[in-house]
Amino acid sequence: MSSPEESAAAPMVELTNVTKTFHRGAETLTVLDGLSLSIAEGSFEALMGPSGSGKSTLLNLVAGLDRATSGGVRVAGQDLTAMTDGDLAAFRARYIGFIFQSYNLMPVLTALENVELPLLLTKLPSADRKRRAATALRVVGLEDRADHYPRQLSGGQEQRVAIARALVNDPKIIVADEPTGDLDRKSADQILALLEKLNKDFKKTVVMVTHDPEAASHARVTHHLNKGAFQ
Amino acid sequence: MVPVSYSVRNLMVRRTTTAATALGIGLVVFVFASVLMLGAGLQRAMGRSGSADVAIVLRAGSDAESSSGIELPAAGLVTASPEVRVRPDGRSDAVGEVVGVLALDRAGGEGMSNVQVRGVPDDVYRFRPSVHVVAGRAAAPGSDEVVVGAAIRGRFRGVDLGQSFEIKKNRRVRVVGVIEDRGSSFESEVWGDIDTVRAAFGREALVSSVRVGLRSAGQLDAFKRAIETNPQLGLTVKRESVYYEELAQGTTTFLTILGLMIAFFFSAGAMIGAMITMHASVAQRSREIGTLRALGFSRRSILASFLFESVVLSLAGGVVGALASLAMGLVRFNIVNFATWSEVVFTFVPTPSIVVSSLLFAALMGLLGGFFPAVRAARMNVLDALRA
Ligand SMILES: Nc1ncnc2c1ncn2[C@@H]1O[C@H](COP(=O)(O)OP(=O)(O)OP(=O)(O)O)[C@@H](O)[C@H]1O
Ligand SMILES: [Mg+2]
Repeated sequence: MSSPEESAAAPMVELTNVTKTFHRGAETLTVLDGLSLSIAEGSFEALMGPSGSGKSTLLNLVAGLDRATSGGVRVAGQDLTAMTDGDLAAFRARYIGFIFQSYNLMPVLTALENVELPLLLTKLPSADRKRRAATALRVVGLEDRADHYPRQLSGGQEQRVAIARALVNDPKIIVADEPTGDLDRKSADQILALLEKLNKDFKKTVVMVTHDPEAASHARVTHHLNKGAFQ
Repeated sequence: MVPVSYSVRNLMVRRTTTAATALGIGLVVFVFASVLMLGAGLQRAMGRSGSADVAIVLRAGSDAESSSGIELPAAGLVTASPEVRVRPDGRSDAVGEVVGVLALDRAGGEGMSNVQVRGVPDDVYRFRPSVHVVAGRAAAPGSDEVVVGAAIRGRFRGVDLGQSFEIKKNRRVRVVGVIEDRGSSFESEVWGDIDTVRAAFGREALVSSVRVGLRSAGQLDAFKRAIETNPQLGLTVKRESVYYEELAQGTTTFLTILGLMIAFFFSAGAMIGAMITMHASVAQRSREIGTLRALGFSRRSILASFLFESVVLSLAGGVVGALASLAMGLVRFNIVNFATWSEVVFTFVPTPSIVVSSLLFAALMGLLGGFFPAVRAARMNVLDALRA
């Protein structure tokens, strides 16, 4: 899947004149209004803005979870506008690491098994998967909690497991929608430190939605969104 | 693929719901397996009586012994055929018998039922070595004594050791022995002296059937051709095992269809149960489904995961139901064989193939019951699922 556009010079994320509208009955709601955005490879960028301004909608377009109504969406050298549902799933598995506000771990799987999940979409043999998952848990400092179930972990620890899961597949981009929204200050700072580590040490491009100015201060660039447009 | 442990552990987490749903499936599988065991028991009760190297000769056009009649000279010709085994004493290994049906009062006093009566020659036990007298003794030749099958002993008035009953108006026979034969239909018959039975049923100078032991099972075709192509005889030849299978066929088919219809109606209920359970499970886990999809799992793997979960759920019930049905092996049952209109006693017989098909049936219910919930899970919009 490597293509000439995937060179270092091209931006990792490139949105051109993107609109996103939702229909509620007869009413049309324009959430993103002709928006353009370019994010360089290896950058750490934050999206801020009031509730309902379209931050999550924008992030979902970048992550290949949703489609733009019009405009161009290129991520990691791929043109997402032309992709089928199946292509998008494969794209997410290969290029995107997800971090959710409420962690979204599988309650019936252990920390290690949760981290291993994305690797089940690869051809890696079981022993390699286990080893990589264990390594990812070590990166987030939870190697001693490998056999714990999510309910046996604190919120901060759950989010660290989720970060290990986002990292394990070696994605190009980490997308995080309010990753510290459910956490206290101390846990939030740990998570933000980990995101910086992913960005600096692992060279991941990080795109994070947040309401927290403190969180945004960790980012290299902060975009302010208001009513579907950048300020 | 979504890991198997994810499905199995989700079932274990919802212990109570899982158990209740599985039990419903188990009940249906129990009925299903019992019906098949009933069919197998009947088949065995009837088919057991036959062997492959024995041929039965009847009047052409008769499909049961009780409706057949063969003149004695013709019977003599049949037993003299070259394909027939010869015993060390120089006589043909063959037996000609008279068969009639007798209506007897049930022991409990609730009405009457038919019993098959067989008039046998003195050397019948040489021809059928698997038949044993298990109580009392064999009937004396040329007497009014009879032996009765273990399965009907005590079930009809006068049909027990030391008692007597009327084989014909004002003609009493005395029960002096009880016979057993591996659960075959002979255990549901009365055996008396051939002349006594002949007289009682007005079959003078006739036998109902002739059975011959063939030199080998492969001789049947030659024997059949020789007998059936002789126009003077007007007889038909069947392998004995086939004869009994054909006799049981109608009743077995009737019972099996009836039972399967009951199982089918029950299964609709059990499948709806599985469907409701799986629907609830899908609704409860929609955020997990959304997460899996976000991570890159395809719609198809979500579908497979929930179908698998439903099948595991049903199989758990299927195992319980199949095990419970094995307990039916202890139950005895009597039923009218519609080919002979006489009563046959038999048991539920478990076989490996019944166990396998019961589990397959359970799995099928799981697949069908889980289908719509799994499709619903697979069709969810990723973002809607994540927001739930
Ligand atoms: N599927 C949808 N159908 C209809 N409207 C939608 C849909 N998804 C989002 N919206 C609307 O789009 C707007 C932007 O939503 P979005 O979730 O992107 O906001 P947000 O900036 O992430 O807000 P928050 O900070 O509260 O998470 C909101 O007005 C929302 O109601
Ligand atoms: Mg949001």
